[in-house]
Amino acid sequence: MIKLIRRNLLRNKRRTILTVLSIAIALILLAFLDLLLAAMSGVDSANASRLVVRHAISLTFSMPAAYEQRLAALEHVEGITIMNWFQGRYIDDRPENFFPRFGTDPDTFPDVYPELEFSPGAIDAWRAERTAFIAGGALAEEKGWEPGDVITIEGDIYPVDIELTLRGIFTHPTDEAAERVLYFDWQYVEEALGNPGAINSFYILLDSPDNMNETIAQAEAMFENSPDQVRAETEAAFFLSFIEMMGNIQFLFSAIGLAVIASIFFITVNTMAMAARERTTEVAVLRTLGFTRSRVLAIVLLESLSVGVLGAAMGLAFMVLTAGALSSFLASQGMTFSELRLGERTPTLVMGIGVSLGLAAGLVPALQAMNMKIVDGLRRVA
Amino acid sequence: MAERLVEISDVTKNYRRDAFDIKVLAGVSMDVSEGEFVALMGPSGSGKSTLLNLLAGIDRPTSGNIRVAGQSLGALNDSQLAGWRHRNVGFVFQFYHLIPVLTAYENLELPLTLTKLSRAQRRRKVDLALEVVGLADRKDHYPRQLSGGQEQRVAIARAIVTDPRLVLADEPTGDLDAGSAQEILDLLAQLNEEFGKTIVMVTHDPRAAERARRELHLDKGRLHSAARH
Repeated sequence: MIKLIRRNLLRNKRRTILTVLSIAIALILLAFLDLLLAAMSGVDSANASRLVVRHAISLTFSMPAAYEQRLAALEHVEGITIMNWFQGRYIDDRPENFFPRFGTDPDTFPDVYPELEFSPGAIDAWRAERTAFIAGGALAEEKGWEPGDVITIEGDIYPVDIELTLRGIFTHPTDEAAERVLYFDWQYVEEALGNPGAINSFYILLDSPDNMNETIAQAEAMFENSPDQVRAETEAAFFLSFIEMMGNIQFLFSAIGLAVIASIFFITVNTMAMAARERTTEVAVLRTLGFTRSRVLAIVLLESLSVGVLGAAMGLAFMVLTAGALSSFLASQGMTFSELRLGERTPTLVMGIGVSLGLAAGLVPALQAMNMKIVDGLRRVA
Repeated sequence: MAERLVEISDVTKNYRRDAFDIKVLAGVSMDVSEGEFVALMGPSGSGKSTLLNLLAGIDRPTSGNIRVAGQSLGALNDSQLAGWRHRNVGFVFQFYHLIPVLTAYENLELPLTLTKLSRAQRRRKVDLALEVVGLADRKDHYPRQLSGGQEQRVAIARAIVTDPRLVLADEPTGDLDAGSAQEILDLLAQLNEEFGKTIVMVTHDPRAAERARRELHLDKGRLHSAARH
């Protein structure tokens, strides 16, 4: 039976190859979207004990700096720091010169990022000098920066140009993308702007991830009656909402993925139906020889399943081979999310869809073959 | 006297085509004894292929009873009928109907994959059947690499590889030139005479029918006359 299925698959090589390829390409796109979404949500570098507090309306709104002290007083808070997105322009507008630049507080920053490793003396040097900055190892290497180098970032959101001196390097133990970031002392900008005391977000490290929900509720309740209400969320959720400033990315990606799968499903159904229709007489002959209805059903379904699984395997193999290169390419284009890393989720998703697609596409022709009257099948061609 | 292998009692078969009821077989009764070679003749639309399909258990009568090898086919459900067909009937089609993606050997092995025979046992049976039809040297050929006559011989080998008691042939020479047709008729006669196979053959061709030991004529769904050779 397996031999018959294999030979049937190879009967019209071009059609099989094209179908397998189209499934593979659709699943590559889907896997890519899934990986991108995972990378955007920062699941790699996000700390399960870290939460982010921002303005309830949008990230583009600021909160009073005084919120920091009140949030720090919450029961499970181990550390809190400020984080302001400066953006600005480094050298020019080319994508390779774009990387995240955050203004923070050097005194509290290390408490909230215990997973980062700093070069010797970096923290002290950063704290001692208002114009100092620290950079991730990957970013510094990419830009060829050495300690002592001075860079200028031209302000765009904020009307101030800043000149910064590299005083230290930090590394992340697992996520290279977390090293493509620059941090500087926000007080530098704050003073230049006349101390407005406006903060984009507060990053808080909790004593345990178990206290996340409770603290989120407390933080939001704390400012419920204030003019600037807040939204608190896990760091992973925050990364996603940060990206979603551009729109509902998750919905958009899911919709694209669904559309791709739906179209490839109909193509595969049509191909399998065509293949089965061409073999109506052969199915009738198999039944005449003593093959039962269920055996015929299994043959057609397994054939279709093979096409789906082959497509999925091919798509997955491509993603395994190219995820690293895609990651580097995106980074070179200024998309500094976490790395595109194939964990368990994406391969499971791709193989799951491949299997489902194969079975679903084969179901209708398989049922038709199973329920066909033998004499009708023999009469069709003969 | 030989055992009655096929007993057909008052069988009718009606088809519905759009708004019309078409009576294909109208109360056909006949017997075929073990070891007989029967030719079923008649004009197109007389119901001979329908009768053959009923005998093979690939279609069911509207009324009446068919017993083959002591088994009433009406008592079997679809799955049981498939198993019964596999054990008792070999079918030869007018257009051979070999599976084009399988070699001659693999085509013969196909019905044997439904049994519990080992690969070696299957090989012995396939080799023997190919030997009988004189195509042992063509076992690795695909159907497209064979002539029409050779294809039909492989189809006959497929029909006998499971060693069925009844071989049904539907116009087995209908798609062949005179020379190949003669070879196929010789082969069927050999199966009947040397191997004792009971054969029911549907044919238009009186010369083909002459090779059988008995002729039955169907016209408008009724069995009209019989001749013995």
